[in-house]
Amino acid sequence: MKAVKKPKPFDFVLLAITIILAIIFIYPVLFALMSAFKSNGDILKSPVAFPSSFYTQNFKDLFAQSDFATAIVHSVFLTVVSEVLIVCIVPMAAYGIERRKGKMTGFIYMFFLAGMMIPFHLYMFPLFKQMKMFHIFGTMAGPIVCYIAGSIAFGTLLYSSFLKGIPLEIEEAAQIDGCSPFQTFWRVTFPLLGPCTGSMIILNGLGIWNDYLMPYLALPSGKAKTITVEIASFVGQYTARWDIVFAGTIISIIPALAIFCMFQKYFVKGITAGAAKG
Amino acid sequence: MEQAKAGKSRFKVDKVAIAFIAPAFIFYTLFIIWPTVSSVYYSFTSWDGISPKLRFIGLANYKEIFTSARFGNALKNTVILTVFISIFENAFALILALIVDSVRWAKNLFRSAFYIPVLISGIVSGFIWKIMYNYNFGAINSMLTSMGMGNFKQDWLGNTSLTLIMVGVVLVWKGAGYYMIIYLASLQSVSTDILEAADIDGASPFQKFKNITVPMISGAFTINFTLSLINGLKVFDQISVMTDGGPGFTSETLVYLLYKVGFNEGRQGFGTAVGIVLLFLIIVLNTIQQKFLRSREVQL
Repeated sequence: MKAVKKPKPFDFVLLAITIILAIIFIYPVLFALMSAFKSNGDILKSPVAFPSSFYTQNFKDLFAQSDFATAIVHSVFLTVVSEVLIVCIVPMAAYGIERRKGKMTGFIYMFFLAGMMIPFHLYMFPLFKQMKMFHIFGTMAGPIVCYIAGSIAFGTLLYSSFLKGIPLEIEEAAQIDGCSPFQTFWRVTFPLLGPCTGSMIILNGLGIWNDYLMPYLALPSGKAKTITVEIASFVGQYTARWDIVFAGTIISIIPALAIFCMFQKYFVKGITAGAAKG
Repeated sequence: MEQAKAGKSRFKVDKVAIAFIAPAFIFYTLFIIWPTVSSVYYSFTSWDGISPKLRFIGLANYKEIFTSARFGNALKNTVILTVFISIFENAFALILALIVDSVRWAKNLFRSAFYIPVLISGIVSGFIWKIMYNYNFGAINSMLTSMGMGNFKQDWLGNTSLTLIMVGVVLVWKGAGYYMIIYLASLQSVSTDILEAADIDGASPFQKFKNITVPMISGAFTINFTLSLINGLKVFDQISVMTDGGPGFTSETLVYLLYKVGFNEGRQGFGTAVGIVLLFLIIVLNTIQQKFLRSREVQL
């Protein structure tokens, strides 16, 4: 092992630069946090100042004057249900492709990967028409099926590259012991894919939680939709009540931040694995 | 062995594989491929999004694309925004990665700090910056005044020569942390043995950076640059909250044009044609990236 070197002056200069950059990067978030605990008058009068007291009226007004509670329920529902279904469907497909190599599965893999290039904006008009055809337009099922479909390209890529690192011997042993292919996958292989599933859930979940266009267009208007849609509608509606909107933004940021703090390594793994292959 | 045999009869049905892949295949085909294929068809019609009847108008939408000033303006805005984002996102991401990699204390803390903007939704980040940019009550003008630089005060989003760049700043702030993670991973794959060997041979820090670090991270650079270009083409949320494409059409990009034409003006046929152009741009960028990466592989 290397001996611990004494810090040089350069180390302190670098530290100072890093701290300054970190403050610049975090400042907008701090600004939102501080504003959420200020009265509207204070936000307008002294935007940069710290809140003078622990002022929570904004949050009370937010829930009293809008249907934000429903929006939270909708966001949570969309994220959780989509994630559960994604985790049931995507790893199975990757397993079929990776472990049953052949012309057909090779073709399907390329077919799935092509989906990474297709922008949502291209096919959204026909998509909504199709949703109406299936009678899922304006229901939660609409966005959910699209989130599942949208997760397949990246998910298959992530799981396939991860499956390559899992030895076949374990699966063969399970099969000799009389497991069917499905049992082998769910009881033996799937638990070994834990870190990959973690990355998948976190990156997809963040995307769904933060998504705007899909719930804005595909869920019924008039009612509370999701947190992001509510916030976007506040911006137009309560142009004079920034305090309320800031309270909403903080509620939207906190779950993402909490999950990031708890599962940082899955973020890093998912991003780097995706980039290495993509 | 089995596969070699399967190769002869081309359609040997692997029931197990089908059972595993079918659910994903069905969702993917129904909700991505089908609407994509039908949008190719709709791009040749004057579909308004409501009426069930479609009128086939051939290449008229594409003709309009290449002649209309509004599309030209949107394309110009998209190119400016995308190039701005890609350059600055990558520059910041690389600087942040180098800093986090070499700072002596609290590496993880700093990495998290730079990553936090990535976690925030496009809508929320757009709103926060919209307020910070506000002329009378925004944090930026208020800071400038208190630092005695009041003459730099601007209507940041209202000044038409700045609008696009100001939207770009928000995207760079929000995106740099993501690409930093990728650079950081490739920096950490540079073996310390090589760097120490270079030290012994008397290489200067700059030489080490130029001859060891840069070649090692060039793969990450190609990937990040392509990713940020493609993501730049798709920006929507921030424009929607901050400018709504305005003032006038100064921040209307291809995606925003597509959205407005389709939903506000009832011209979804034309909108999908714009979408096809977008897809074409993405495919071109991807192909260039693949070429670049492959030529690097040959060198190694």
